[in-house]
Amino acid sequence: MEEFTNENIDLDKLPKYQEVTLTAPHPNYWKVILINIFIFLFFAGVCLTAFLFLNEDIKHNRPFFIGGYLVVAVLIFILYRASFKKRGFALREKDIVYKSGIIAETTTIVPLNRIQHVALDEGIFSRIFMLGKLQIFTAGGQSGHLHIAGIEIEKARSMKEILLRKLDQIETLAEDQ
Amino acid sequence: MYSYFNYRNFTFFLDEQKQEFVINKGIFNKTQLTVQLDKIQQVNINQNLLQKIIGIYGLKVDTAGSEGKEVSIKAIDEEIANNLREHLLSRKSISNKETYTEKTATFQEDIPFLKVSLSTLFKVGLTSNYGSTIALLLAFIYPVFDNAKEFLKAFDMDKGQVENAVESLFTLFSIGILIAAFLFLILAINVIRTFVKYFEFHISKHKHSLLISHGLLAKKNTLLSPNKVQITSYDQNYFQKKMNLLNMNLKQASSGEAKKGKDLESNNLQIPGCNPTERDELIKMIMGDIPAKGKLFIPNWRFLNLPIFFRVVFPVGIFFILWAYISELNPYYPAAIIYFLLAVPMIYISYKRHQLTVNKEFIIKRSGIWDIKHSLLFPHKIQAITTFQYPWHKSVDVGHVNLHTAAGIIHFKYGNYTEIKKLVNYWLYQIESGSEEWM
Repeated sequence: MEEFTNENIDLDKLPKYQEVTLTAPHPNYWKVILINIFIFLFFAGVCLTAFLFLNEDIKHNRPFFIGGYLVVAVLIFILYRASFKKRGFALREKDIVYKSGIIAETTTIVPLNRIQHVALDEGIFSRIFMLGKLQIFTAGGQSGHLHIAGIEIEKARSMKEILLRKLDQIETLAEDQ
Repeated sequence: MYSYFNYRNFTFFLDEQKQEFVINKGIFNKTQLTVQLDKIQQVNINQNLLQKIIGIYGLKVDTAGSEGKEVSIKAIDEEIANNLREHLLSRKSISNKETYTEKTATFQEDIPFLKVSLSTLFKVGLTSNYGSTIALLLAFIYPVFDNAKEFLKAFDMDKGQVENAVESLFTLFSIGILIAAFLFLILAINVIRTFVKYFEFHISKHKHSLLISHGLLAKKNTLLSPNKVQITSYDQNYFQKKMNLLNMNLKQASSGEAKKGKDLESNNLQIPGCNPTERDELIKMIMGDIPAKGKLFIPNWRFLNLPIFFRVVFPVGIFFILWAYISELNPYYPAAIIYFLLAVPMIYISYKRHQLTVNKEFIIKRSGIWDIKHSLLFPHKIQAITTFQYPWHKSVDVGHVNLHTAAGIIHFKYGNYTEIKKLVNYWLYQIESGSEEWM
């Protein structure tokens, strides 16, 4: 049996999640986001032009539609840029921290001993840039899952390995008891 | 024919060594379902009216498996039902039949430690679940009411002016009666519903698990192990407080992705009408101890801003803008004022009731406007923690925290962000250093 200790806990000496240095997503991931935005805007643009040419009644309103389209495009761009700047993750010894958000700054922490399973996802464009998305699932439902996008594929693989190894360790520990 | 073969090929047994419950079924495509005993959350043994007549039971085994892999056996006799109930939730199983009969004998002697009497059920029916009953009633009554109106119209055709005056007086009178009748009907239906659902509700301690059974027409027996309960909550409204009544709710991990509506319901165990001492006893049973006083956290007054804006200022403003342009709306402006006068205090009450109490072992969240709800939770049942803050709250140090559990999320909004961070670090420490399992 382990030696039993029961010392007083100094709350200020606990490791602080808010002071962890976070790893930002790889710069190439911004390119992936841009490609996705352009594809979306391209299809939206095609639909809009078709709509404008087929509808004779709103001929004189065309500048408004085009202006609106441009405003939306710029907004999407700015919002994604802001959210990209805010993203960051850190793998600690016993948990994983992920920060994200467009307006609000959200930090999610998943203790490693609460992870249900881990998945690695590679999209087409991400694969071109050698990036991957690490997905971490907990029993806490949709909002408790973590999706960390834009990690270099090698790093993502090794992270997944580490996580899986920890999961195994925890499981064997639990069975021993 | 099909049913018969289906029946012939349906077998189940308990694997003692591997601690597994195995079911074989299927005619052409044979399926074997295996459930590990320690993954079982609760065992339901139900009996509806038809099954009651024939004298059989239906058995359902709930697991937290993500594929919604639930085991259900439609027809088993009482002996097997009791046997299974006996063994499925206890890790050590007994193999031969002699010991089994002995066990049932002791089982019979189990004394229920919580029993809900008829009068309590009556009180519960009077004081809770208005919302769902009103919805039920409206769906039922509307067509009837519509027909009656048509009928009255036809009747009205040959009425003179004198009768008209009498009628207007009469309608005023009858509206009063109608409202009274409506209220009475709601209460009556509520009471009947509660009676049918929770008739003879009792809980007894059964080795390491709780046995809950209730129901008038369809009898439901549920066996669950206390350490699989994720969130224990109780709520009470103003009337219930006067009568010393509480409703308790035991939330278990919902199975996987199917989290909507009914599935969630089945993972919630309702205990209607217990008094504070019984509540404490149940909490002791489930959580091991009654929560001691802890440190109290209350939200910042900025809690009020958003709801007041979106629920009060915004709709009322729109109403008055429309009011200025559309003359038909004129007579309705008192409604807007009443709404305003009701909504503001309600939001204020919800702000005052929003609290979080934390001590070494527990987290207690209080919230609600009419029904005041307390949710109790162990830190080690937390699956993930999310904290967030809006940029404009940075300077005033206000932020929010969500605790994700397998049975839902607990929010605490507009707290002091420095304190929240400290709490989160503490909870993380508790989760990561402890070896307690959440299931």
